[in-house]
Amino acid sequence: MSTRYLGARVRRNEDPVLLKGRGLFVDDVRLPGMAHAAVLRSPHAHARIRRIDTRRARAARGVLAVYVHADLGALGRPLPKLIPHPALVHHKTQYALAADTVRYVGEAVAFVVAESRYRAEDALDRIDVEYEPLPPVATLEGAVAADAPLVHEDIGTNICAHYTQRVGSVEDAFAGAPHRFRERFVIDRGASCPMETRGVVAAWDPQAGQLAVWDSTQAPIPIRNGLAAMFGLAEQDVRVVAPDVGGGFGPKVMMFYPEEVLVPFAAMRVGRPVKWIEDRREHFVATNHEREQIHDAEVAVDAAGRILGVRTEFLYDSGAYIPYGLIVPIVAGTTLPGPYRIPNYHCEFRAVFTNKTTVSPYRGAGRPHGVFVMERLLDRVARELGLDRVEVRRRNLIQPDEFPYDVGLIYQDNAPLRYDSGNYPACMERALELIGYAGWPARQRAWRAEGRFAGLGVACYVEGTGIGPYEGSRITVEPSGRVFVATGVGTQGQGHLTSFAQIAADALGVAPRDVSVQTGDTAVFGWGTGTFASRAATVAGNAVAAAARAVREKAQRVAATLLEAPAEEIELDGGKLYVRGVPGRAVSLGEVAAAANPLRFAMPAEWEGPGLEAIRYFAPSQGAFSSGVHACVVEVDAETGMLTFHQYVVVHDCGRVINPMIVEGQIQGGVAQGLGGAFWEKLAYDGAAQPLSTTFMDYLLPTATDVPALEIAHIETRSPLNPLGVKGAGEAGVIPVAALVAQAVEDALEPFGVRITEAPLSPNRLRQLIAEARRIP
Amino acid sequence: MKLDGTNTLAAPVDTVWKMINDPDALRRCTPGLKELKEIGPDSYEATLNIGIAAVKGTYSGTLKITDKQAPRHYKIALEGTGGAGFMRGEGIVDLEAQGDQTVLRWSGDIQIGGLIAGVGQRMLGGVGKMLIGQFFKCLEQSLEASGETGGV
Repeated sequence: MSTRYLGARVRRNEDPVLLKGRGLFVDDVRLPGMAHAAVLRSPHAHARIRRIDTRRARAARGVLAVYVHADLGALGRPLPKLIPHPALVHHKTQYALAADTVRYVGEAVAFVVAESRYRAEDALDRIDVEYEPLPPVATLEGAVAADAPLVHEDIGTNICAHYTQRVGSVEDAFAGAPHRFRERFVIDRGASCPMETRGVVAAWDPQAGQLAVWDSTQAPIPIRNGLAAMFGLAEQDVRVVAPDVGGGFGPKVMMFYPEEVLVPFAAMRVGRPVKWIEDRREHFVATNHEREQIHDAEVAVDAAGRILGVRTEFLYDSGAYIPYGLIVPIVAGTTLPGPYRIPNYHCEFRAVFTNKTTVSPYRGAGRPHGVFVMERLLDRVARELGLDRVEVRRRNLIQPDEFPYDVGLIYQDNAPLRYDSGNYPACMERALELIGYAGWPARQRAWRAEGRFAGLGVACYVEGTGIGPYEGSRITVEPSGRVFVATGVGTQGQGHLTSFAQIAADALGVAPRDVSVQTGDTAVFGWGTGTFASRAATVAGNAVAAAARAVREKAQRVAATLLEAPAEEIELDGGKLYVRGVPGRAVSLGEVAAAANPLRFAMPAEWEGPGLEAIRYFAPSQGAFSSGVHACVVEVDAETGMLTFHQYVVVHDCGRVINPMIVEGQIQGGVAQGLGGAFWEKLAYDGAAQPLSTTFMDYLLPTATDVPALEIAHIETRSPLNPLGVKGAGEAGVIPVAALVAQAVEDALEPFGVRITEAPLSPNRLRQLIAEARRIP
Repeated sequence: MKLDGTNTLAAPVDTVWKMINDPDALRRCTPGLKELKEIGPDSYEATLNIGIAAVKGTYSGTLKITDKQAPRHYKIALEGTGGAGFMRGEGIVDLEAQGDQTVLRWSGDIQIGGLIAGVGQRMLGGVGKMLIGQFFKCLEQSLEASGETGGV
C-alpha cells in the first residue's frame, strides 16, 4: 500500500463548504410548522420550589405548551448516570426539569413551546415560581466544612466520592527524603465557549412512529440509544444527526442535557417539530463547566533533585450533580506523573458537590491540572536546591529504552496506565534548541538592563489518548468511482473528513478529494461511542484503515476476474486497477464497483457477496500516550500585569502524523484555549454562588491578538498498539499552558520574588501579586 | 453589595420623618416604582421597573418598614422577583437634627440573583448609588415644593 497521502499536508475536504457558508448547523435546520422552545432557569443557587403557576404563560398569545416536572410522566426520573465508578458512592444526576429543589443558577425549571422564540421567551416572564431560598454551597472548601449546607440533603454529605491510587510507599519515601516541599495549588472554573452553543431540533412522525433529532452533540449514537430507551422506541426508529458542529471541546459529549430530552418530548406532545437553540448567556450556566480543583501536594527529592515520591490530596468540584462520574479527577491524578520516573506516588481526591453548574470534561479534562501540579513542584525543587529547572527535569525523565513504561496506576479507561512508546528527552532537547535555552541567561540580562521583565518557561506533559472501547467504519465504493467512508465518530472541526479520507485514499489508490467521509448521523453508521479523549484518529482511523484494506482486497479479487490475472498482481492507483506492469490495460475503480454488483449470471464465490463494501471495527486494549514539551518567552508589564509572548515553541509527539497541517491546527487552537485557562478565562461566582461572568464582557476569551504564532516541531514515535502507529493530538495544545505561563512569569518577575500557585491569573491578579511581593522585603 | 451614604435635608427632623413614611412620597420618589399598594401598616406590595446594565426588568414584591423609632430610625426591607432575576435589599435609616436641618444617614445591603447578577453585578454599586441619589434628590424637591423646608 502506498503512503502518498498519509503524512501529507492535504488541504481539508470540509473547508470549501464551511468557508462558503454552506455548512448545516442545528440552527440551520428549518422544518415546516416548526415551533420554538425556551427554558425557564433558576435564578437561585439553592432553593426549594414551593409553587409553580404556569396559567398566565399558558394563556399567552402564541404559546403551545408549558411543561414543568409534574408534566413529564415517565421522563420525570433523574437523567441517566453516564459513567459509574465503584468509588462514586453518590451518583446524583439532575431531572430534565427540577422536581422540588434547584441546586444551581441556570437549572431548568420549566419549558415553553411557542410559535416563535420571542413568544416563548415572553411567556417565561409569565411563569410564577415561588422559591424558598436555601443556604448555598458557594466554594469547594466551604463544601467540606463541618457546618456546610447540603447540596443533596438525602445523602447527608457533600462528598460523593473519595478515591485513592498509590504506587510504592510515599510514607517510606518521604520519611527518608533529604528534601520535601509542600504547596497548595488552586485552579478555578472555566467554560468551553464553542462558537456554536448547544441546540436541538426534533421532529416526530406519528404515522411511521419515527423520531428524528438534530443535536449539536459529540455523541449522536449514545444519544439515539438513550432516547430510544427513554421513549420506548426501537433504536432504528430514532435518528440522531449531529450535523456540522461548531466546536465541542468535551461538554457536548454529555448525555443527557435536559433539552436533549425535553425537545423530543415536546415535539411528540405538541405534534410539531420543535427547535431550541441555547443563547450565549444560557451557555454560561446551562452547559457544563470544568477546571475547579484544589491540590495539597508535596514532593520528596534527593540532593540531586531526583524524585523520591510525590503525593497530592485534592478536592474536585463536580458542581451540583455528577452525571459524568469521576473521569476528570481520575485523569488529573493519572496525568500528574507525566514523563517523569516517580517510584512512590499517592493520589487521593474527594469529589464534592457545590451549588454551581455541573462539571464534565473540557479539553484537557484534568490533564492541565495534573501537569500544573507536577511542573510547579519541579520548579520549586529547582529553586530550593539551586538547580537549573531543565536539569531537574532531565534527571527525572523516563528514557527511550524504558518503554513500555508501567506507571503503576489505573487510567480512565480502567486499563493499566502503561506508556506504549515515546522519546521524552528528544522532545525536550528539540524544544530547548528552538527556544534558545542555552543563550537565555544573556538574553534575560539584556532585557533586565532595559528595565524589562522577560521570562522563559519549559513544561512537559504526557497525554493519554486513543482509548477504547471501539469505533467502526463502513467503506463503500459506488459505480461512479466515489468512495464513501462512514463512521460513528462525529466531527466538531477536527478535520475528520480529511484525515479519514487520506487513510482510505492510500489504500484504494484514489485522491482524498474523491473520498466522502460521512459522520455524525446514526442513519449512516449506528455503532460507536463518540468523539472525546483525543481518540478519533487512533480508534476510528484504524477502523477506517482496516475497512479500506478489506475493500482493496475485494476490488483486487473482482478486478482479477475481469482482467483474468491473480488478485495479488492487481495494483490500485489513480482510481484504476491494472495487472502489475501493464498499466495500459486498466479498469476504473467505478467499473469494478459496478461489476461487483451484477444484475444477472452467477457471481464468483470468491467475491464473498456483492459490491465493494466492508465494515471493520478497531478496539484498542488500552490508550496510546502522546507527549510533548512547550517552551515560551513572555514579557510581563509590571505596571499593568499584561503579558506579551515573544516566542512560543511546541514540540509534539503523537506517533505517526496523518496530516501535519491538521495536527498543527489542533495544537494552535489548544494553546489558545490553554492561554485562556492560564491567564484570561475565569468564571467568577459571588458568595451566594451567583455566577458573575456570564457575558464575554466579563468572561475574557483570548482574542487573535492575544495568541502568539507558534513554532511547532513534530517528533514521531509510532505507537505499537495500532496498525497505523498513530496517537491522539486533540488536547495536546491545552495541557501544559498554565504550568508553562506560571513558570515563565515567575522567571520574569524573579527580581520581585513572585510565586504562582494558581490558575488562571489575570492582569489584575498579576498586578496584585507583584504589589504583594514588593511589600515583602 | 453594601452601600451607605449621608444626605443633609433642609427641613426639621419631624418633617423629614413624615416624608419618609408617606406612601405618596415613597411612590413619587422611588426610582422605577410603578405601583405601591398598602397591604397593612408599613407594609406594601411594590412593582419596580429598574434597569441595571443592559438588563431592564420588572420586579414585583414587598416593601416593609420595621423597627420604627420615631422620629429618628427605621429599617426598610425590599424584596422583588421578576424575569430578570431577584433582588433583596435591607436598609437602615437614621435621622439626626442639626439646627433646622436634618442629617439622614443610610446604609443598605443589596443582593441580586439570576440574570441581573450575571450581567449587572459590576454595575450594581454605581447603579445603586445613582438610584438612591435620585430618591433623595426627589425628597429634597418635595420638601421645597411643600414649603416645609426649615429656616426659610
